[in-house]
Amino acid sequence: MKKKVLSMAICTAMVAGMLAACGGGSSQGAAAPAATDSGAAAPAATANAGSGRVYVLNQKPESADAWTAIAKTYTEQTGVPVEVKTAAAGTYATELQSEMAKSEAPTIFNVGNTSSAQTWNDYTYDLKDSSIYEHLSDKSLCIEYDGKIASVANCYECYGIIYNKTIVEDYCTMDGAVISSPDDIKDLDTLIKVAEDINSKVDAINEEFGYELTGAFASAGLDDGSSWRFSGHLANMPLYYEFLDDGVDPILAGEAEIDGTYLDNYKKVWDLYVSTSSADPKTLNSGALNAESELGMEEAVFYQNGDWEFAPLTNPENGYLVTADDLSMLPIYFGVDDANEGLCVGTESMWAVNAKASQEDIDASLAFLDWMITSDEGRKCMTEDMGLSCPFDTFTGDFASKNPFGAEATELMNEGKTSVAWAFNATPNVDDWRAGVVAALTAYTDGTGDWEAVKTAFVDGWAEQWKLAEEAAAE
Amino acid sequence: MEKAIKRYWPVFVLPTMAAFIIGFIAPFIYGIFLSFCKFTTVVDWKWVGIKNYTRIFFVNGKLDTTFIHSLWYTALFTVVTVLIINVVAFAIAMALTKGIKGTNFFRTSFFLPNLIGGIVLSYIWLMIFNSVLANYSKTIVSTQWYAFWGLVIVVCWQQIGYMMIIYIAGIQNIPGDMIEAAKIDGANNWQMLRDVIIPSLMPTITICTFLTLTNGFKLFDQNLALTGGNPGKMSQLLALNIYDTMYGTTGWQGVGQAKAVIFFILVAIISVIQNKLTTSKEVQA
Repeated sequence: MKKKVLSMAICTAMVAGMLAACGGGSSQGAAAPAATDSGAAAPAATANAGSGRVYVLNQKPESADAWTAIAKTYTEQTGVPVEVKTAAAGTYATELQSEMAKSEAPTIFNVGNTSSAQTWNDYTYDLKDSSIYEHLSDKSLCIEYDGKIASVANCYECYGIIYNKTIVEDYCTMDGAVISSPDDIKDLDTLIKVAEDINSKVDAINEEFGYELTGAFASAGLDDGSSWRFSGHLANMPLYYEFLDDGVDPILAGEAEIDGTYLDNYKKVWDLYVSTSSADPKTLNSGALNAESELGMEEAVFYQNGDWEFAPLTNPENGYLVTADDLSMLPIYFGVDDANEGLCVGTESMWAVNAKASQEDIDASLAFLDWMITSDEGRKCMTEDMGLSCPFDTFTGDFASKNPFGAEATELMNEGKTSVAWAFNATPNVDDWRAGVVAALTAYTDGTGDWEAVKTAFVDGWAEQWKLAEEAAAE
Repeated sequence: MEKAIKRYWPVFVLPTMAAFIIGFIAPFIYGIFLSFCKFTTVVDWKWVGIKNYTRIFFVNGKLDTTFIHSLWYTALFTVVTVLIINVVAFAIAMALTKGIKGTNFFRTSFFLPNLIGGIVLSYIWLMIFNSVLANYSKTIVSTQWYAFWGLVIVVCWQQIGYMMIIYIAGIQNIPGDMIEAAKIDGANNWQMLRDVIIPSLMPTITICTFLTLTNGFKLFDQNLALTGGNPGKMSQLLALNIYDTMYGTTGWQGVGQAKAVIFFILVAIISVIQNKLTTSKEVQA
C-alpha cells in the first residue's frame, strides 16, 4: 500500500511538472498580447504614441545600463513598452539570429556593414523617410543596400594613429631630431623618418626624459583580438583610395573586384609598424601582446587605433601613465594624398528597424528612435551615458562630441582635410576575407610567406568572397 | 507491483518521451530539413535542394578543401587522443589500484583538471604554450602542427583523469579470487594483464573509448579558445568549421547545417562500429 501511494505521488509530481511546464508556455503566450493591450490602453491616454512595442537588441555591452535606464524613462513618459536586451561581447550575430526567429522579435537591431545588410535584407525596413535619416548630418553614414536605406549610424567614431604628444615634443628638443614639432608630421615619409629615428634612439630618450620606451610603435598583434586593426582598419586605406579612383558612389557600397592598386603603400605602412616596434615579428599572433598598455605605460609612442581607446587609456583604474593632455591622433598617412587626408570617420554601430514586425511596432520603434535623437533625455543618454559622438543635426551645443579625438577629427575637417570614409564596411563575407588576409600577413611577417600571397588574399580573396555573397543574395 | 507497472507504464514513459521528442527528435528532424534550405532564421527558410551539400565541396566552381581538411585533421586528432588518453589513463589507474601511499591524493590531483571548463583551461594553456614557445620565436598557431599538438596536450591533460576514474572502478570490480587463481596457476604480470585484467575490463574499455572518441570528434571549446582555427583555417576541427560557416559566411547558414548533418552521420557510424567492435570482445567473468 505504501509503495502504491509512493508511486502515485511520484507520478502526480511528474505529471504536475509537465503540466506546469506546458502551462508556463501557454500562459506566456497569452500574456504577451495582454501586455500589448495594456500598452495600447496607456498611450490612448497620452494620445501621441501608437499601440506598438519596442524591442532593442543592443550590440554594445558597455552601454547596456544606459539603454535599460532610457527605456524605462521612455515607457514612463509615453506608456510604450520598451524592451532592451544586450548581447554578450562577440555574440551579436548568434544572438540576433535566435532572437529574430521568435514571435516577439527585436524591432530595432544593429546592421553595421554591407555583409550584415545582405544577411538581413528581408528584415531591414527602408529608413529613407525616417526622422533619423532626415536628421543624419552626413548622409554617407548609413548602409544603402538593395535600393533602400538599410541602417543609419547612431554614432561616429574616428581612428588614426594615436600618439603620445609629450614624448614626441621631448624628442624634438634632442640634437639631431628630424622634426622640430609634432605638427611637422604631415606625410608618410616624415612619419617613417620620425618613427625610425625614435626607435633607434630609445635608450637615449629614456635616459634623458625618464620614459620606459621599448620602441616607436606599439606591437602590431596579429591574434584575433587585434588583427582587425590591420585587416579591417588599415586595409581600409587601400580600399578607400581605390574606390575613390574608380568613382564608387557611395563609397560604402564597394565594388565587386579590386586591383590592389595601393597595396604597396599598405606594405610600406605595415613594415613601418613591424620594424619600429619591439615585438618579435615571428610571434605577433601569440595573443600575449597588449598594444594599449604599451602606449599607456609609455613604452611606445605610436598606436594605430580609434577614439574608443580614449576612455580606457585615461581611466585611472587602469593605472596608465599617460594623461589626456599627452594624447593626440594623426591620420594614417598613406603616401597617396597626405596633404588632404583626415582621420578615418565612420562606424559599425547602426540602427536598423525590423520590417517583419507589425506596422504598429515599426511605427513605435521609429517614434522611439526619433525621441532618442530629439529629446533632452535621449540626447543626454547618448552623449553622456553612452559617451557617443552622434551624427545628427540635433546634437548641437551641450550635446556635441566631448571626445578629444573626435574633436581632433572635427578640427582636421575644419582645416579643409577630407575625412576618410570607412570603405571596409563594404567587405564581402568580412570574417572569411579578413581571415585570409591575416593568415597571409602573418606568414609574410614571420618570414614563412611572401608579399605576393598577401596580395592574392587581398585581391583575389575579395573577388571570390564578393561572388559568393552575391550568389547567396540572389537565391 | 508488476501489475501496476503494466497498467501505468505510459505515465512513467510519457514525460521523458515527450521531453526527448521536444528537445531532441523534433529539432533533429527539422535540422535535416533545414540543411536543404536557405535560411536567415530557423523559421524563415526557402527550399534550395542539395545546393548546400555541393557547396561544402565546390565553391565558385572550384574544389574547396576547407571542409575536407578539417575532416581529416579531426580524424587524426581523434585517433591520437583516443590512444593517448586511454593508454595513459589505464596505466595510471593500474598504478593507483596497487595500494601505494597517497593513492587518494593522486587520484584527486589527476581528476582535478576535469573540473575546469574547456575555455578557461585553454586560455591558461595558451599562456603556458606561448611563453615557452616564445623562446624559439614560435607561437601555438605558427603552423597547424603546433596547434595540433597543443590541442592534443590540453585535451589529454583534461580527460585522462576522468577516464582514469572509470578505469579504477572497472579494475576494482574484477573479482579478487580470479586474480588469486591466476597467480596460483603461475601467471606472470604480462599474462595477468593480457589474459585476465584486460578481458574483464572490456565493458569499461568500451565506455572509455566511446567517450573519448565522441569527445574528440565533437571538440569545440578548446579549439575555439586555444587556436581559434588559426593559422588561416588550418586548425579548425569539424565543430568549429561548422560554426564558422554558419556565422562567418553570408547566406551560408544552410551550408553550415548541411555540414552538421554530414558530421552527425559520420560520428554516428563511427561510434556504432566502435561499440560493436569492443562489445564483441566483452567476456563474462
